[in-house]
Amino acid sequence: MSSTDAATRQAATLPTAPRTRRWRAPGGTRPAPVHYALLAPAQMLLVGLILLPAIYVAWMSLQKVSFGADPVFVGLANYRALIADTVFWRAAWNTFLVVNAVVYGELLLGLGLALLVSGWMPFRRVIIALLIAPYAINEVSAVAMWRFVLEPDIGMVSWALVQSGIGQLDWSADPTDALALAALLSIWMHTPFTFLILYAALQGVPQDVREAATVDGANAWQEFRHVILPFILPALLVALMFRYITAMRIFAEVWLLTEGGPARMTEVLAVYLYRTAFRYHEFGLASATAFAMVLLSLAVAAPYLWAAWQRMFRHA
Amino acid sequence: MRITRRATLTALALPLAAPALGQTRRFVVISHAVHRNVLTTGPGGDATAEWRRRTGMEIEWLTFGVEAVHERLYREAQLSQGGVDACFMLERYGGPHIAPLFEDLATYQAAEPIERAEEISPSMVAAHTYRGRQVGVPFRHATHGFFQNRALMRERGAEGVPESFEEIIALADRLSFVRSDGSRVAGYAMSLDDPSSLVDVIRAHGGDFITRDYRFVADQPPAVAAVALLRDWYRRGVLPRNVMTFKTEEVITAMQQGRAALTNQPFGRIVNYNDPRASRFPGEITVANIPMMSSVAGQKGALVPAKTSVWAMGIPRNARDKRLAWSFIREMSSPENTIRAAVNGNGPVRPSAYDDPRVRELAPYADLERRVLPTAMLTLPGFEQAGRAMDVFMEEVQRAMLGQAEPAAAMRTAKARIEPLLPT
Repeated sequence: MSSTDAATRQAATLPTAPRTRRWRAPGGTRPAPVHYALLAPAQMLLVGLILLPAIYVAWMSLQKVSFGADPVFVGLANYRALIADTVFWRAAWNTFLVVNAVVYGELLLGLGLALLVSGWMPFRRVIIALLIAPYAINEVSAVAMWRFVLEPDIGMVSWALVQSGIGQLDWSADPTDALALAALLSIWMHTPFTFLILYAALQGVPQDVREAATVDGANAWQEFRHVILPFILPALLVALMFRYITAMRIFAEVWLLTEGGPARMTEVLAVYLYRTAFRYHEFGLASATAFAMVLLSLAVAAPYLWAAWQRMFRHA
Repeated sequence: MRITRRATLTALALPLAAPALGQTRRFVVISHAVHRNVLTTGPGGDATAEWRRRTGMEIEWLTFGVEAVHERLYREAQLSQGGVDACFMLERYGGPHIAPLFEDLATYQAAEPIERAEEISPSMVAAHTYRGRQVGVPFRHATHGFFQNRALMRERGAEGVPESFEEIIALADRLSFVRSDGSRVAGYAMSLDDPSSLVDVIRAHGGDFITRDYRFVADQPPAVAAVALLRDWYRRGVLPRNVMTFKTEEVITAMQQGRAALTNQPFGRIVNYNDPRASRFPGEITVANIPMMSSVAGQKGALVPAKTSVWAMGIPRNARDKRLAWSFIREMSSPENTIRAAVNGNGPVRPSAYDDPRVRELAPYADLERRVLPTAMLTLPGFEQAGRAMDVFMEEVQRAMLGQAEPAAAMRTAKARIEPLLPT
């Protein structure tokens, strides 16, 4: 009996080892070195631009770092200082409020506009161009413009609001009004992003399925709920997650409007971080703040990343 | 001759490289735009021209906003080899912690002295000296005066220059009104992004914020009274409704447009306020010294130790050519260049500059400014946590203005939060 036959018989009698999940390239083959080589530039870019700076920030968050002195390891002291700082918690709460208002406001508005424009609409292209125009405006210019027209004494919009009986948006003195205005500004500037994603998704809903629903007697709401929504749901979730993560970094709207005032009551996390780093030069504490923001973003993205991970290996 | 690819490429590249090859070395100065402007443009001429001709250098000005100047400068100075040759620094962003990043200029002064250096105010030199290390040679001061819009005063039947802070309070009340065209005028405007304007009001009441020996004293009755005045002004509309978002730029615009009638700002702002291209009241906005409360001083006419800030020139410890940098500082600090810069709008650090006829002609406030300089005080002495201390203080002041805390309670809270930040 040849050794090959013996090995074959032995393999046949042994219990099957539990199958390990291993990534395979399309077609079922294991990735060859060339696959890794092709992936390397993108991976190196991610490592160089995201991973290494993130590690550096994590390292700095454990140090006392400022100008004119060598870093001193302080363990978790910066995180403890953050936790003990009421301004940080106020900034975190403000961020939570503004981000949710912005993301869901944008989602509703973007979806509404996308549905409106995807139906019958004269001058559709012109209207789409107008709708996405705010996205092309520089954030600083946009905030400066809105700040000017909403100036309490001489702002045109402010005057119009008072004349129409709505009353003044007291953003320079009332923290609630200031945060509301920051959220409105952000919605105004970023709705085009959500609108474009959802409008593109709506174009992908098959016309025959919609017609079939109509033939079956579905009204407009039922057609949206049971036909359109399932089709655009993945795009909607992507828009939601992207905007959650980017909205978490909200800065220009608040900084240029109020700089976090009055009395630091409209401060958001990015403004808190900016002050700590560039006004107080406490880079360790600023890094701890940055890391807290990363963790918050990760918490938001985690469900989506988990779902994506599961999908990736479902067929492996 | 054989034409090769290498020869062709070299021939093509040479004309492109020629400008770079022929370029003179650049001397990099990091500053606020105002320093470049007062040294290079205006009726006083270009103070840097002779130095540039003699050294063959071209000056590359890296200009930023006040905070950004220091952030960028300290970042550069921290490197093992820097790209900045000379810099301008404001005293309240300094402190003993950054002193090791800069050359001690006393040694340079001993070797190659600045002409008539003894004339430069010792208190200004002290503002840039930390633990015996002089990191800057004073170049510019911005000292506060009291501005009033004469046109608005006439409209309200007011005249004269207040001789006490009580009179300023009464005038501010009178000048808070709605004009016939419906526009609202605030009697008083001030920037509230940091305490630099507020300290004038506190000092007018006989108080202070942080003393030179690092004691927080804004919880004492004079400062509390000043904060109570601000709260009262804010409630009654003497201050603009959006004053808590006011920085210097907003104050300038409000004064130029007649939305505010009185303010305290650096004397040099008189040019902006009366600029016919930007102001609705050219020639109508005048400046005077800020008077004390007569009830505190015991008489009318006593002056507030007005807020001043001092910009100084320094050399980062990693500068490439420190001798050259010192020659630049020496030349820009010379008596003649001090006058040139003053004529271009600078606040001169040499008292003799105020005697020069060119300065007297272009800076009509020269006598007023010189009068207050001996008693003028910094907003606060420099220390590592000065930025945080200023923010905490303004946060508590604004809480008092909004009615979230009584002025005395807000100042007690400020004390509890600021004292741990002060050097011991």
